[in-house]
Amino acid sequence: MIETNLDSIAQQSTFRRISTSTKLLLALGSLILCLVSPSPLVPLISGITLSLVLIIPGRTSLRSYGDLLIGPAIFSGVSVIVLLFLLGGGEILWQFSPLPGITLAITTGAVQQSTLVLCRVFGCSAALFFLALTTPMTDLFNGMKAAGIPAELIDLMMIIYRYIFIIQAQASEIWQAQVMRLGYGRPGEAVRSFSMLCGMLFISSWNAGEDLVKAMDCRCYDGILPSLDPAEPIRFWSLLPVVLYLAGLGSMVVAGLPGNGGWP
Amino acid sequence: MAVNIILEARDIRYRYPGNREAIKGISFHVRKGEKIALVGPNGAGKSTLLQMFNGMIHPTEGTMLFDNEPIRYDASSLRKLRRRVGFVLQNPDRQIIAPTVYQDVAFGPANLGYDEQAIREAVEVALRQVGLDGFERRTPHHLSGGEKKRVAIAGVLAMDPDVLVFDEPTSGLDPSGSEDLMELLDELNHDGKTIIISTHDVELAYPWAERAILLMDGQIIREDVPDIAFGNTKVVRMAHLSVPTLLELSAELGKRGFPVPERKPRSVLDMVHIIENHLHGTCNHPSPGTILVGNVDETAGGTLSAWVQARPGVIVGAMGTRAKQCAAQEQITLEFTYGVIDKCILRALRGKDSLILTTGSMAGRVGVRVDAYCRESGNDIRVVTLDPAGMSPGPADCKEGDHGNDESQK
Repeated sequence: MIETNLDSIAQQSTFRRISTSTKLLLALGSLILCLVSPSPLVPLISGITLSLVLIIPGRTSLRSYGDLLIGPAIFSGVSVIVLLFLLGGGEILWQFSPLPGITLAITTGAVQQSTLVLCRVFGCSAALFFLALTTPMTDLFNGMKAAGIPAELIDLMMIIYRYIFIIQAQASEIWQAQVMRLGYGRPGEAVRSFSMLCGMLFISSWNAGEDLVKAMDCRCYDGILPSLDPAEPIRFWSLLPVVLYLAGLGSMVVAGLPGNGGWP
Repeated sequence: MAVNIILEARDIRYRYPGNREAIKGISFHVRKGEKIALVGPNGAGKSTLLQMFNGMIHPTEGTMLFDNEPIRYDASSLRKLRRRVGFVLQNPDRQIIAPTVYQDVAFGPANLGYDEQAIREAVEVALRQVGLDGFERRTPHHLSGGEKKRVAIAGVLAMDPDVLVFDEPTSGLDPSGSEDLMELLDELNHDGKTIIISTHDVELAYPWAERAILLMDGQIIREDVPDIAFGNTKVVRMAHLSVPTLLELSAELGKRGFPVPERKPRSVLDMVHIIENHLHGTCNHPSPGTILVGNVDETAGGTLSAWVQARPGVIVGAMGTRAKQCAAQEQITLEFTYGVIDKCILRALRGKDSLILTTGSMAGRVGVRVDAYCRESGNDIRVVTLDPAGMSPGPADCKEGDHGNDESQK
């Protein structure tokens, strides 16, 4: 399961011990710069740099990373094909008529815009994956707490996060039991089996909820879900390269703005 | 008023919504520091009864007493009770609430109002007790079944309860995990905790418990020391249980003319003693081996492994979580991790030496157990405490049964 894999990779990441704030700054900074950049070069450079950082010093397996990128790649690939025909401007590079009276054309403007969208998707995906593959959810909860998000909301998120894996394991067991007894052999049976699976999961989640209350009562619950041990502090030597990188990326964005001559 | 009684049930009854009576008039008591096994088949009422110990269930009739005071069910009294009676559920996934080990173990202390430093200390101590130091930032879904069980226990230990109640403690664990867990329960009991477990595993309950309570259909059908509680075949069958193998074997030997002592065998060692007594009258080896005791708290890192490597004939066992961790750190292969003293006595009877790694508080148990066995059997087994200062990591200077000069006889 992808969420289990993401969390496992994050737990083992070389960057696990770097402050969540530093990683958040890098990921969000890159993401914003990718979005505001008028040129495809900045998101492309950002995406490649963050991917290389994840794979080489971060020791994220190339295969796992590649698997994760497949989803956004397919989605953006299909979107870009549509955009190529939807957008206009500039000279016509290629056109054809699939039906009489309907002409589809690809223009230079559409190619530029589509390339920009493709590069932005790549750059932003890399930025988000950087955060997801180096920062376990539990560290993010600490970050949220530091950011002033209400404790009740974070407590709820922590309990939901804890129970996702339990319910997921139960769903997987029920599904396997159904498959072993040919529960998904025919479309009608598949619908029945799936609805039974959902029903069973609802009942077991209800029971798990009751057990949760019992478990909390057994340990004198008084409205407190403790925080994780203190988060890693922000260290100068990890913050400096992030700031320098973002400054470099930012200056490229500024240089690429139309008023400054723009990118070729 | 009985001062050493910590829990008592006086004719308690419990009826579930729907009118099914799960507990039908039960009376018993638990003394401080006891190891009690509630044994019965599925549906006998064990879990229901256990939940009454910390006030999770309020008996419909009768009275539950804690520390000779009737349990009160207002919020404040229940908090006090639950602080002193820790409950470990059968399924650790249902007990572990928080997304990291640290947060889960800290849950109890935080809700009891400890300050940040005290919470940190309580978590550290509890995790060390269960052998999970360094697991603080791990997430529960990345832990094995045995590790989850230990996290659940640590979560309860962090509140420093006097009584620990375990519902089916070994369910879902492999044999090695079960042995390690039972060893941990022994260790906690040695530290002064009263331990109550529910189980339908008679082989587990028989050698471990000081007292067994057999439950059937919401009633106690027998309550006694394990050899008597499990010794009545009719009662055991009535409870849909089986007679422990050692008891059955002892009964069969008795029927075949072997002199079976009045005290029934509780371990393989006891059984071997019965057979050897019949055959030889005493140890079958001319010179029994020695049991060496190494205190891991007093030994410098690396010394033990060098000592063990220099003496390939000495088999090593470890008692207690700290000792096992120390052995793992020093890459010492452990042959015995449960029932260590008895296994080392058996080895000594074959003329072989063994080393028991343990901590200061548990080291004394070795001598006591070996002395008791020697008095009963007439054998003479030496227990030698290794002198940490004089331990030489040099080449082997002794054969089996010859320990050189680096130990001090106890």
